[in-house]
Formats: sequence, structure tokens, C-alpha cells
Amino acid sequence: MHGRLKVRTSAEEAARKKKEQDLKVKAYKAAMGRIHQKRSTNELDQEMMTLSGQILARNPDVFTLWNIRKESLLEITSSLEDEEKQALFDKDLGFVEQCLMVNPKSYGAWHHRCWILENSPSPNWQREVQLCTRYLKMDERNFHCWDYRRYVVNKAEIKPDKEFEFCTEKIKHNFSNYSSWHYRSKLLPILQPHPTVKSRPISEDALKEELELVLTAAFTDPNDSSAWFYQRWLLGYSQPDLDIGAFRMSKDKAVIAFTKAINLKSVTEFSLSSLNWKSVSGETYDNTWIVSEASLPEEFIGDSSISLTFEGKTYSLELKNQETSVFGIKCPKFEYEFGAGVVETLKAQLDSCNELLEYEPDSKWTLLTASLLMRAVDRKGYHEKSHEFLKKLQNIDSNRKGYYEDLASKWNIEKKLEEFIESGKTPTTLDLSKLNLTAFYYEQYLSVFDELNFLENKITQRSLSKLKAFHFASKIYLDKDIV
Amino acid sequence: MARIVNDVDISVDSSQELHLQKHIDYIANHGKDQNDFEYCMTEFLRMSGIYWGVTSLDLMDKVNLLNKAEIIDFIKKCQCPVTGGISPCVGHDPHILYTLSAIQILCTYDSLDEIDIEAVARYVTSLQQSDGSFFGDKWGEVDTRFSFCAVAVMTLLKKMHLINVSKAVDFVMSCCNADGGFGSKPMAESHAGLIYCCVGFLSVTHELHRLDCDKLAWWLCERQLPSGGLNGRPEKLPDVCYSWWVLASLAIMGRLHWISSEKLKNFILSCQDNETGGFSDRTGNLPDIFHTQFGLGALSLLGDHTNFKKMNPTFCMPQYILDRLEIKPQVLCL
Repeated sequence: MHGRLKVRTSAEEAARKKKEQDLKVKAYKAAMGRIHQKRSTNELDQEMMTLSGQILARNPDVFTLWNIRKESLLEITSSLEDEEKQALFDKDLGFVEQCLMVNPKSYGAWHHRCWILENSPSPNWQREVQLCTRYLKMDERNFHCWDYRRYVVNKAEIKPDKEFEFCTEKIKHNFSNYSSWHYRSKLLPILQPHPTVKSRPISEDALKEELELVLTAAFTDPNDSSAWFYQRWLLGYSQPDLDIGAFRMSKDKAVIAFTKAINLKSVTEFSLSSLNWKSVSGETYDNTWIVSEASLPEEFIGDSSISLTFEGKTYSLELKNQETSVFGIKCPKFEYEFGAGVVETLKAQLDSCNELLEYEPDSKWTLLTASLLMRAVDRKGYHEKSHEFLKKLQNIDSNRKGYYEDLASKWNIEKKLEEFIESGKTPTTLDLSKLNLTAFYYEQYLSVFDELNFLENKITQRSLSKLKAFHFASKIYLDKDIV
Repeated sequence: MARIVNDVDISVDSSQELHLQKHIDYIANHGKDQNDFEYCMTEFLRMSGIYWGVTSLDLMDKVNLLNKAEIIDFIKKCQCPVTGGISPCVGHDPHILYTLSAIQILCTYDSLDEIDIEAVARYVTSLQQSDGSFFGDKWGEVDTRFSFCAVAVMTLLKKMHLINVSKAVDFVMSCCNADGGFGSKPMAESHAGLIYCCVGFLSVTHELHRLDCDKLAWWLCERQLPSGGLNGRPEKLPDVCYSWWVLASLAIMGRLHWISSEKLKNFILSCQDNETGGFSDRTGNLPDIFHTQFGLGALSLLGDHTNFKKMNPTFCMPQYILDRLEIKPQVLCL
């Protein structure tokens, strides 16, 4: 039951309402009783349509009645010619529309509509598309209607570019329309895919255009979140492609870390597959796999690289021979690498954000977007500044303080990890102290270090189960007062 | 352009104290009057109503207030002798939604052997399609809610081997969106209720690594409005039921701390009916059993273990029941 205000009524009014409801209950029970009785004797006739219609018109969620309607329609139309059949199905479409007026979010009513069309001799898909356009004018966020639209658009063989136009129109009419932005994010990768990079959803040209549209929308109303979400998707680097991230093996232990979770047991071509690999989490898929055995075969320690083949693709990692172990690490990708054209657009957008911040220094979405833009434009150069913005966000958007703290932790660990990898040093120790860390990110990369220093951070109990990923660490420094 | 944020004001007439006894009474008395209008009009979801009542009372350690024998007898009557599926109520058709509710109640009562569970498993198996998706019933509606129901039922019955899990996972992942969330079917917009179903599905099947947790959990924590309440999609009003769906999803991903627990708790408490007991969707509205269950469940997830038993975020059942069944859905930490 949604959105029904509790109102104080007089005893008289309450009694009147109770009487009215009692009558409704009586009528409902009588109709349901008659329906059950008729169904048990297989009387799937016009009376059944009338009875079920009486209840559904008030309460379209009684899904069994839609089922009975389907059974009855099939029975009634079984001996009819197509034309008469179509007339009855069309009539029921009219009835469904009536029900959708009562409850435009009734799962049963929408599904019944699909069913009628699927079973009609000559369904009019175009008319259904128009119906959706009409309904979406009344409520542009009704996801049932959007889903139904995609279904009928497909049946009517309307091309994605036409739907893209519809989307653009909807967005221009009202920028605050997450449903349209969503549809756009689905259509663009079909219409303008990235020509070479699979993990990039859309081409650089499309990206440039979208960035311009979305910023206009966002700046029209900086407090509306819809456009900002879309902007973040455009900028957003999501999960990396699979690769080997790090490896280390000594006489008595080994670890292999991946950019993302993998089932190592399903990898067939791997020179070390004979070892007793275990996932750190105990799950089938993990990004960190370890071996802890007394004596590993020594001949492996001389290898200069490791490689493995998974789902037809070979991944490898260069190794360096240390005194007592072999080791290799590859710097993870932290952001997309945009082309020069897009970077220019991003720089211009960053300037616009900074201008807006001069007038509205506490604009949450502008601060967040600006910090993400800085990362996309020049991650290292803007490290301090982007952190400053996150710090500010912790205060002005305090509900999500935990999120901003974790994001800052992630960026800080990225920086330290990158510096270490660029130094070419051996993984003896990694100093991650005094970074305000609230979470462990990139734990699979931390698995290769002998010593990890997390002193003077804000790590809490909740993160401690991640410690087991730190396979090579003989010393882990943590604050005493972890709660 | 001035804008009005879709939110509610909870400052007026809101009580910040938990009316535990009133909630117990509200649920225990629910359905005592079989001719009550609301009760009759919602008979099409009766089985879920009973599950919400049983679970709520169990959370407050008062499940003994309900008549166990009567409820089990009711479930037996609702199992379809032909398909094995379970209906919400006698005279209504079996459906996967009510099949899950019935199985959850039976697990709570440790009474799975009271019905033909082989037939239930056959019913669920029969609803799986070649693309891995599940129908809700024989009439062919497809929805990620049904995927969750299917794996939850099969896990509780220890019959997962009978369905094609890997295809089921592929279907659910085909409903994943650019924002990291999930909709009801491929191409459908992200929605917190369906995100719960899909995250829950991946937790049950131990496939959480397929999620982009940072992206999805950020979208979810953005559901929290200034009132502290959570909405289900951007620019929508807060609603107590999303307290469960958003919160449980965040808990499964180990990111419950990405929202303000204190403010959410205040919002949920403001949705109590101080007179009758029970929770409504929003401050000042009429309570119902559905929002009562999700309000109480969320308070448990938020850490109130003085008044409530511990809730399992994946199954929306008290944790002790899953421990007894030795079922361990996957949970992440950060």
C-alpha cells in the first residue's frame, strides 16, 4: 500500500466508510465465489469476462483473474474466424487500458497487454508505440511503460536511431528524466560503439557530443541528479579487463593477483597449475590466489616470466629474480585514456565547474564532478586538489561521508602503488601510513609485500577480514585502537 | 530554476522511540477480522503477507503469537497438486513469488517436510527458460524478481543442481546497466527493488564478483535523501520498503557505511503509527504489514540487536534459520 495519507475522521464518517467498505467486501466475495465455482466447472464464458472485469477494474493486481481472463478469451475465441477473434482481443485491450488508468503500475495489467498482442491474429504494434508515447507524457518515469515501449518498439521494428530521437526529445523537454538518460545509455553503444576498445562503451565523437549535452543539462539545474549520473557514466572507468596484476613466489609460498576475480581452477594452460592454489576468500572466483606449502619446486624460481591462457587469451607478466623469490607487478589502469579531443572538452568542463563553484561553492554535484574531471584530465597533477574536494564533500554531503572517505582511500592507495611500481623497487615494504585510509583497496597488489604499514589511518574492524589477502606480509602495522 | 526536492519533512509530529509492543500487537492481530476491507482486497498476496508477519514477529522473538499449525495447514492447501507450485491463497493460482514466501515460512517453522518439496523443485525447474530467465508462472512474464525467487527457493530446498545456474547468472547479468544497477529485464532501468533481487541472486549463487560494487553502491547510497529516507530511483520520494532493498544490497556488498545509519533510523521510526503500531511507506501515511516487515528488518540490519534478532540481508530471514540450514550466502567486505 503506497502513498495513502492517514486522515483523522469523525466517528460518523468512519462508520459511513466502514459501511461502504463492508458492501465492497460483500460484492468482492460474491463475485470471487461465483468465479471460482464457474472455473471449477470450466465455464470460461462471457459471464466470466464480466465478473473478472468487475473486480479487475477496481483492483488490477488480482493476477489470478488475469489468468482466468486469458483462459476465457482462448476458450471463447477458439472457434472464431480471425476477424471476430481480433475484435474480441481488441476489446480486451480497451479493458486493460481502463485498468491502467486505475493503476498504471500494475504488473498484471501490463503483462496481460503483452499476452493479448502475442495471441492476436493481427496485432497493431504501431498503435502500442503511440500508446506508450501518450502514457509517458502523463508519467515520464513509469518504468512499466518504458519496458513495454521497448517490447513493442522491437515488435514494430522501429530502429534504434528513431528511439534515440524520442529520447533526445524527452530529455530536452525535461532534463530531470533519469528514465530517458538510462535509455540513452542503452541506445548509444548500439548506435555509436567505440571502434577499437571493447571496454569503452561509445566512440570518442559520440562521447564529446554527449558530454556537451549533459553539461548543459546539469548546469541548467545543478541540484538535479539525473544528468550528473549520466555524466559520471560518460567519464566513468568501470572494472578493468582481466590481466595478471602481480606475482611472487618464494621457497615456501606463492601468490598470483589478477585485476579482477577469476576461477584459477578453470585455467588450463598455466605452468604452475600443478601447485595447490587456493583463493583467499575461499570462493570459486577471486582476484588473489595463494599457495602455502613448505617447499615449492625450486626450478620455477628461475623463470623470467609467467603466463597463462584463459578463455582463448594469453596473459603474461615479466618477473624479476630477487634473492629468495621471483616477483613481478604491473601497474593497474586507474582511468580511461581519452583522446586529445575529449580531453580538451573535459578541460573546458572542468573550467565551467570551477566557475560555477565560485558562485555556489557548496554545490555537491559540481564538486564531485569537478574532482572526477580532474582525475580524467591529469590524475597526478590534481591529486591534492581532488582530495580537497572530497574532503569538502564529506562535510556538505555528510550522509555519504563513508563513501567519500573510501573513495579518497582508493585514490591514495593508487598513488602509493603507482609510485612503488614506477620506482622498480623490490616488494620489501610499502608505507601506507597517515593517509586517512578507511578501507583497503587493491588488496591483491598488496599481497606481494613483506611489510605493510597502515599506521595512523582510520581502518576499522569491518575491513580486517581483508588482511588475509596480504600473503607475503610478515609484518602488518595497524593502529592499536581499531574498534 | 528553483526546484523542489522530492522528499518529506519528518520533523513534525514524529516520534523517535520504537513502539515495539504496538508493532507486535499490530502484526499478531493482522487478519483477525477476515471481513476487513484491506485484508480481503489483498488476498491475492496472502502468502507473502503471512511471511512478512511471521518474519517480523520472529525478529522480535514473538513468533509463538501466531498459530503455527494453522499456517502450515494453509500452506498445504495452497500447494497445487498438478504443478507443485504454491498459490497466495486458496482459489488463486500458483506463482513463484508465493512459492518463495511459503518456503520461507516453512523454513522458519523448520517444517519443510510438511509439503511435497520435490514437486516445488519441479515447479521452479519447469519455469526456467532457454536464456536462463524464469517465468513467474505458466503465463510467461519474465522478471529478475523471479530469478531471485528461483535460486532462493532452490537453495532453501538444497536443489540448486536441478536448474541451470550458469545460464541463470548470465540472464541476470544481461539486465545490468551502465549505472551498475539492474532492472526487471534486459534494457530495463535500474530500480532499487530489482537491484536487491539481482544482488541477492548473485549472493545466493556466489557470483558477487560480477558486480561493479563501487559503482552500484554509490548509486545506492545516493538514494538517501535529506530526510534520511531512501528512494528507489533518482528523483523519487523516500519509502520505508527501500530501507530494506537498498540497505540489504549495501550490506551484501559490505558498504552499509556509505549512508547515514542514524538518519535512516530516524526516518524509519517516523513512519511508525504511534496509535495502531505498524509502519507506513512514508511519514503520516497508513501502515501495512509489508512496510512493517521491511521497516523492522532494516532496523535489525542497522544494528539494533537489543530489540531484534539478526537479519540475513540476502534471504530477508533471521540469520539463525540460515545457520540451522547451513546455508551461507556470499557477503563482501571493504
